[in-house]
Amino acid sequence: MTAPRRAAKAATLNFTFDGKAYRAVPGETLAAALLANGVKLVGRSFKYHRPRGIMTAGVEEPNALVTVGEGGRREPNTRATDVFVYDGLVARSQNRWPSLRFDFGSVFGLFSKALPAGFYYKTFFGSAKRWMIYEYFIRKAAGLGNAPTEADPDRFSHRAAFCDVLIVGGGPAGLQAAVEEAEAGKRVILVEQDAILGASLIRDPQTLDAGWVEATAARIRKAGGRILTRTSASGYWEHDLVTLTQLCVEPGQTAENRLAQRLWRVRAGRVILATGSIERPIAFANNDRPGIMLSQAVRTYIRRFGVVPGQRAIIATNNDDAYDTADALIAAGANVVAVLDARETASGRAAHAQAAGMTVHLGAVPKAAKGGRQGVTGLVASVAGATQSWAVDLIAVSGGFTPVVHLHQQAGGTLNWVEEAQAFVPGSSRQNVTTIGGAAKPEAVGVMRPISQPKKSFIDFQNDVTLADVDLAWAEGYRSVEHLKRYTTLGMATDQGKLGNMAALGRLAEQQGVSIPEAGLTTFRPPYTPVSMGLIAGPGAPHGGAHIRRLALYDLHAAKAPIWQPLGYWFRPRAYPQAGETLATAALREARAVRTSVGMTDVSTLAKFEITGPDAAAFLEIICATSVAKLAIGRGRYTFMLREDGLAFDDGTVWRLDENRYLLTSSTGGADRMATHISYVRQYLCPHLRVSAVNVQEHYAGIAIAGPRAKQVVEGLIGQDVPRHMSAIAASIHGLPVHVLAASYSGERAFEVYCSASEAPSIWAACEAAVLAQGGCLYGLEAMEFLRIEKGHLVVGGEIDGRLSPYDLGLEKMLNKAGGFIGAAGLGRPALRGKGRRQLVGLEAIEGNIPEGAMLLSAPNAAPQGHVSAAAFRVLEGGSIALGQLINGFDRHGEEMIAASPTRGQSARVRVTHPHFYDLAGERYRD
Amino acid sequence: MTEVAISRLPEAPLHVVEIWSNPQDVAQRFAAAMGFALPAMGLSASNDRLGLMRFEPSVWLAEGDVSGLADILAENGALTEIGGGVVRIRLSGAGWRALLMEAGVFDAEDPNFGPGCTAATLIDHVNVRLHVVAEDVCIAYVPASYSRALLHFWDEAGKTLTA
Repeated sequence: MTAPRRAAKAATLNFTFDGKAYRAVPGETLAAALLANGVKLVGRSFKYHRPRGIMTAGVEEPNALVTVGEGGRREPNTRATDVFVYDGLVARSQNRWPSLRFDFGSVFGLFSKALPAGFYYKTFFGSAKRWMIYEYFIRKAAGLGNAPTEADPDRFSHRAAFCDVLIVGGGPAGLQAAVEEAEAGKRVILVEQDAILGASLIRDPQTLDAGWVEATAARIRKAGGRILTRTSASGYWEHDLVTLTQLCVEPGQTAENRLAQRLWRVRAGRVILATGSIERPIAFANNDRPGIMLSQAVRTYIRRFGVVPGQRAIIATNNDDAYDTADALIAAGANVVAVLDARETASGRAAHAQAAGMTVHLGAVPKAAKGGRQGVTGLVASVAGATQSWAVDLIAVSGGFTPVVHLHQQAGGTLNWVEEAQAFVPGSSRQNVTTIGGAAKPEAVGVMRPISQPKKSFIDFQNDVTLADVDLAWAEGYRSVEHLKRYTTLGMATDQGKLGNMAALGRLAEQQGVSIPEAGLTTFRPPYTPVSMGLIAGPGAPHGGAHIRRLALYDLHAAKAPIWQPLGYWFRPRAYPQAGETLATAALREARAVRTSVGMTDVSTLAKFEITGPDAAAFLEIICATSVAKLAIGRGRYTFMLREDGLAFDDGTVWRLDENRYLLTSSTGGADRMATHISYVRQYLCPHLRVSAVNVQEHYAGIAIAGPRAKQVVEGLIGQDVPRHMSAIAASIHGLPVHVLAASYSGERAFEVYCSASEAPSIWAACEAAVLAQGGCLYGLEAMEFLRIEKGHLVVGGEIDGRLSPYDLGLEKMLNKAGGFIGAAGLGRPALRGKGRRQLVGLEAIEGNIPEGAMLLSAPNAAPQGHVSAAAFRVLEGGSIALGQLINGFDRHGEEMIAASPTRGQSARVRVTHPHFYDLAGERYRD
Repeated sequence: MTEVAISRLPEAPLHVVEIWSNPQDVAQRFAAAMGFALPAMGLSASNDRLGLMRFEPSVWLAEGDVSGLADILAENGALTEIGGGVVRIRLSGAGWRALLMEAGVFDAEDPNFGPGCTAATLIDHVNVRLHVVAEDVCIAYVPASYSRALLHFWDEAGKTLTA
């Protein structure tokens, strides 16, 4: 036996496999290059760690899974048949220790009888804790490659595309369809998973040749068509949306522009599938040995890559196609010792081969392969009932052809059984998809039933599933093919049943005594070929898929190095610590400045809507649960909004700026929800109203100035009298127009200055200078929390969490008595007035600090009766205080409880109080 | 490499124009005063002072001098300033269509989406309005808070268009 050989060509690329250096010819797959370098053993099987070689020449490869690349670019479970060698490629075998050649895990093969399908269901009993131990060892012992632990340095792109016709498959049928459609004026996209178009014409030269391929591709491009190679159609979704996975560089390769892969979302008017067929292996004992290959794969290695995988070959088949492989081997100088044809009578092609001097055995079925990890050494077969054996170093097998129907079935298409081909072909589909070429009309084959020892006859090579496993599943009562799949792990991992599905169905049908279509069919789901996690995450992966929203004043804040707080997609300053300050000390200093002097903060993220028109007040009285119509021009009020069920979902303020013009503010976190709500009310409930509701959240930047000296600061800035509490005026600061709204969230006299966001930096600078001149400072969200909790003001998400009604929140008196607002009907439900509802309360600590989120208990280990929604400290006096929700809370003021947080391991004794801890009369708002 | 230049334009006066009643009367008054008709859905129209882009059945984005527009609208509609929250980004060169397909959902490569066309869509989850002003120039109207992130996204994506 000699090593595989390659026709003399310049091998200019360097690569390594398991640390050993090799050379490859440009355009070779890793599989071809390994074969050319005499490497037959490339992997270990999933469960039994059996030695495995290269079986195929395409994406269906089940055995030759390798890890390629290094660092963050390392990509496990790459099929060696689906990666083209580049200079510097680093490849490693998987699932072996300490080496591929001497793998301790192969000891599992000795106990294979004890490790049948589903053995772990029968073996690993006990508590969940014990399963954690089992799982650790199972994962160590079996499996595929390991995911990289470093971040991927490359970019992944998501791109949309639209076309009239999407053609999947760049073989002769796909190319012909694409050129016809493109030249008919259609927008065409042609995708091919290989690096070249028309690769099958190299394997099987016809009258069409490479020149035709090149010319056809040029015509497609000239007609405006787009051709994408190294691109797989990985998923077919509803409405003819097809996702494509494009490799911009090979797995593990460094991209010049950092773009590794692109995910295309193609919306096609029509889809043509020219996806061809996948050759099936044959089940016989030890049919997984290195040196046993699919017949067409042998031909591909010879004719496309110039690599002859063996010198003494035998071919086992049930069809005519494999005779072409015999021709290719002989033409390449190999010795074909025999063709074993399972059919009882000679086809024309078989007769032709016999006439040409080839040894052809009819009615011949393989029984067992001989050999070990270095490859096959022989084959034993049944020939017309007698057993014969041959010494060979290559066994080419062809058990028929399975049309690639995955995309058709993903599209919701049905499948039809074709008896003469022993295969399912695409039937009808509810989507606009057709299949052409070999996938629509597979070659006729003879029926071949395995006659070998089932235990070592593999049908799913990747998952170590044998005929015996299917038999066992049947014996144990698994009748549905879907149950069989899950019990045996058949058709899982990267393979997804490409090679083994039909063999398993055949065996199941045999056991049931029914035909294959009666036995059923598993469902093909996306993706057709593996898709890397980075590609799914896409370009947004570094920041969790979402962009960061920047405040108009972002740079000014950033210059002060604040502690940032994510708030929705926004980042807002949480505190502006000075030298040596922690978050807590900085926030307390800032809050005290507001209580004693003046502070300013950025409130630009608040939701803001301008409501304009003669019916603006009527519109707002539908949105808001408080009355609006009676507001005088220049006045504002607190308001809140209800869902249809009467529960509060947001709050804010509403200001009458002019006769028919209002400004509505609401919470930052609920801004998008409020925009949707307003749009819904405007377009669905009130299309008749003469009103315009425009989202001006980003147009206006907002600056809040609060504290006993706020009035002096603002008067100095605007050069006129400030408005009284809950009033608004138009003014200017440094010549720039602003709205000054007198509203307070902190509990102090306070103003919100709104201006065009583009002019905000200079207005902020003026305000900051004035605040600092009064001895004040900037304050962030943490101080704002301290202030508003002490004052008993609500926050959306904390107190307004979608579960409480205005009654529960103590807002009943503010409801619009005229009704008519959204939620008014829901509020009438008796349950909202009944006992047992959670109600807003204040909590002050008797002992310990109140943990935020803590449960409220009447006694240790008693059932929770509420929770702490927000906790803080009294700004000036100190002492832990909180807001919370408590069952029947309004009636329980003065009661002592326990606030316990098991997750934090903290608890405090608390007294239930009124939820306002500061200036209950509201005197500090007023001058 | 497919060429696309990405630049942030200076701030411009932008207003939302909404018409809630008597649209035909408003359209007549508008055409008489401005010298061009209110554009239809997905289209724009302009004179040398003012351009209008229609993004919703009853809503237009007005760019430029809107003086006189309030009188035209009268009691039939409203004008709301939004320019402070919108950043205009100019995409020019042969590659602007391909760039907009990156993380997009709208068919910017449709040859019918030509000069004078407008669209409201999402680019990488950000709501963006598009206005094709010339065969090789498109203006994107981007929320100010997302503008820096989207500019960065487009700068990066622009390097890989032909990959």
